[in-house]
Amino acid sequence: MDMLTLILVIFLGGAIVTWLGNKLNSVLGDLLFLAAVIVPSGLFISGITVGSVTTLNALGLTLTWGLSPLSYLFSLVVVGLAILLAIYSVPFMNGKDKKGAFYFNFTLSIMSMLGILVSKDWISFFIFWEIMTWSSYLMVILNGKEVQKVGIKYFVFSAIGAYAMLMAMVIMNSQLGSFMLADTFNNFQQMSGTYQILIPLLLLVAFGVKSALMPLHVWAPGAYSNAPMAYTSVFSGALSKMGIYGMILVMVTMINQLPEGTLIRDIIAWLGGFTAAAATLWAITQDDGKKLLAWSSVGQMGYIIVGVAIGTPLAMLAALFLVVVHAMFKGSLFMVVGAIEKQTGTTDFREINGLIRKMPWTFISALLSIIALAGIPPLAGFVSKWMLYEALIQNNNYILVILLFFASTAGFLYCYKFLHGYFLGQEEPEWDHVKEAPVGMVIPMLLLALGTFVLGTFPQLLFNPIDNALQYVGYDATGGLLWTDSVLFSQWGNVVTLQPILYAIISVFVFFAIFLFVKGKKGKTRYVSTKDISTSGEIPKEWENLTFKVNFFQPFERAIEPFLKRQIDKYYNAFGNGLEALFEFTRRVYTGNGQTYAIYAILFLALLLLFRVNLFG
Amino acid sequence: MATFVLAFIVGMTYGGIVRKITARVHNRMGPPFYQNFIDAFKLYSKTSAIHHGAMHFLGPAFLMVSSIVSLMIVPVLIPGGDSWYNSWFTNMNASGDLIFLIYIMVFGSLGLALGAGQTGNPNSSIGVTRGLSQMVGFEIPWVMALVALMISYKTTSIVDFINIQQETGTWLMFSHPLAFITAILAMLGMFRYSPFDIVGAPTELASGPVSENGGKFLFTMMSSGSVFAFVKLTLFVDLFMGGAENLVILVVKTFALYMIPVLYGIVSPRYRTEQAVRFFWGWPTFIGLLAILYAVIF
Repeated sequence: MDMLTLILVIFLGGAIVTWLGNKLNSVLGDLLFLAAVIVPSGLFISGITVGSVTTLNALGLTLTWGLSPLSYLFSLVVVGLAILLAIYSVPFMNGKDKKGAFYFNFTLSIMSMLGILVSKDWISFFIFWEIMTWSSYLMVILNGKEVQKVGIKYFVFSAIGAYAMLMAMVIMNSQLGSFMLADTFNNFQQMSGTYQILIPLLLLVAFGVKSALMPLHVWAPGAYSNAPMAYTSVFSGALSKMGIYGMILVMVTMINQLPEGTLIRDIIAWLGGFTAAAATLWAITQDDGKKLLAWSSVGQMGYIIVGVAIGTPLAMLAALFLVVVHAMFKGSLFMVVGAIEKQTGTTDFREINGLIRKMPWTFISALLSIIALAGIPPLAGFVSKWMLYEALIQNNNYILVILLFFASTAGFLYCYKFLHGYFLGQEEPEWDHVKEAPVGMVIPMLLLALGTFVLGTFPQLLFNPIDNALQYVGYDATGGLLWTDSVLFSQWGNVVTLQPILYAIISVFVFFAIFLFVKGKKGKTRYVSTKDISTSGEIPKEWENLTFKVNFFQPFERAIEPFLKRQIDKYYNAFGNGLEALFEFTRRVYTGNGQTYAIYAILFLALLLLFRVNLFG
Repeated sequence: MATFVLAFIVGMTYGGIVRKITARVHNRMGPPFYQNFIDAFKLYSKTSAIHHGAMHFLGPAFLMVSSIVSLMIVPVLIPGGDSWYNSWFTNMNASGDLIFLIYIMVFGSLGLALGAGQTGNPNSSIGVTRGLSQMVGFEIPWVMALVALMISYKTTSIVDFINIQQETGTWLMFSHPLAFITAILAMLGMFRYSPFDIVGAPTELASGPVSENGGKFLFTMMSSGSVFAFVKLTLFVDLFMGGAENLVILVVKTFALYMIPVLYGIVSPRYRTEQAVRFFWGWPTFIGLLAILYAVIF
């Protein structure tokens, strides 16, 4: 059995063994879990070469697995997040119930994501897609409030996507006679005209559901916030990127060959831009950290989809860069929320205050990740945003660039809300007992946050794999043209050199920090708590909580109120209620009365007798 | 370095002159025009008695980083001009472009917001939310004006805009009037004079960053504000009014431009935040769309 199959088998077996081991002994379960995730991930990093192909024959089907450069890029995200979150999950799930189920589903999710990335034929793609869907569904309903509604919504939307994909697969097989991805893409033109449009649309529905493109996004806020935070990092960091992976495959192969391709691309780009703006506005109104980050994830996926849909080399570079960077900072942010939830027991902004001095390392990770999320230089988020804006302007998508700028600027609002909600404000005595999160939780957070810092100045570390991936799907090489070491270019020749900027920023920052600090220490500036302030000339008493949290952005919400009134969720709910009413009506066939059933049987026989000539010839 | 000194002196002087003008319009005497320097020196020499934690120190440092790095990116004088001091003012403007500038300008307010939040003063948080909401308001027409310029001349580098104005001989103010009007309307919001000064107006918030920070912190905030005002004015002059060959022309142009928000603001009442945001999304955005159309068609 060769390496790829071995890795997938270890994941699968590890999941089962961990679940059983957890039933025996909790610590044994932890150790088995770490082994089940880290060992095959390590084997994957070291042992798999790009371009190798294996086949597996089972049940009369031939499944082909292999790693392409594009898959390699996404697998970096999956494997990296898997290792760091496995380390994070062990202290996170310490003492919680359903730990075995958590470990089982976590390992299966990772396995299925790697499976999707290495699939070279549609059957294994679909199998792994389904495993990914139901393992994440089991995570969403693990524990939490209102799991019924949230879980059903997630499952229904995923099922719609999966069956769309299944339909597309079957049609492709009947028309082209093969299940291999390469065959379906290369022989795409041989299908009839209607199928040429139908297949990509079906596939786009499937991938759009997974990447939370509006209007298929309504499952995302509930699902992301109900899953345990250690899993939501993987959920929003890696799982949604599977939709992006599929979209890239469909876009560069099928849609490029269609004459209506540019129209479909434009529609998807506009949907992506609208997703970015609308999700950002919704994130601003949230009062719970989990929901805020969930909406923010939907918005960032909008950015990525815009980049993918535009399709110029610079836009694809920006989108793929944002894929990796988003996994890093969103993973770190969800870990921050998990750490806060573990230490304080709640994640509501209106309840928590002033954790900055109590959880400093968590704050630093959150600060770096938020700066990356906002897209502020010198961190990595800026690199992707710069390239995306340049690509859009040079591609004449002016209104779309305005929309994305609006989304970025509004993003600053919820970034500040997140930081202020948890870490700033007055320090209340009810949270005096809060201590820093355990080391095992802090280190992965910090590593991801620092990673965005490194990538911000040395983006070429990531550009090389991205370039290989783009060349694999048919673009020309971008190295030296759009980027060299630490310098970004655009097609018009505008430049951003990142290293001197970083050094300038750091030197100015350090200079002024010292400037402010030194005089202060010499003059014996003493620390006082946040109660010792001069608000309106009065000093607040100990029991007065003067932190401003409720209706945090009320003026802004008033300004965007006409927009907030319109939610597509209402239409989905109305549709669902209508269907339920229809089903209620149809249920009345089962009256429970034996005489009614006798009438049904007699009526049926009468119909058969009346139409016996037409039916039976 | 010389650029920083220039920005500091010019910015502070403008602040002082504006205070004098405001006072005269309000029919009072007003402080002397060098008052800002006296204030800055006094603040510098005072020691802060208390602090609220490490972020309290770092907040003003973030603010200064934003101002100074923006200053480094904006070309102050036309490169290659014929003044004997021109080489003193070359900065890193080849390292970044307009989009980078837009983002680095936000960095500062985020840092100040964090420092203000650390103090625990609730009014600081209210001020920050108002400031950020307003920023979403004026960024839209501002970006529209910039995009209109970028489309017309197919570049995002500020130096290129200066060169284009030198070559064609007309200022962009006259060849793209709609973009200029949009940018001016957005500038009213950027400078936070009336009617958009709800963020820090003393009658709105009885305290806030200005009362919680004293001594070195307030000195940093004040000088950063002056430098930042200078940066914004210079950016406008470079983009729309042809840049400046020497310091005298720079001072004249920036001062003339500065009078627009100041004079309009002296006699204006104040908008509430949602009124300000809705205003910016109304007429300025409409004119911005017209500017983009104009840039696309011509």
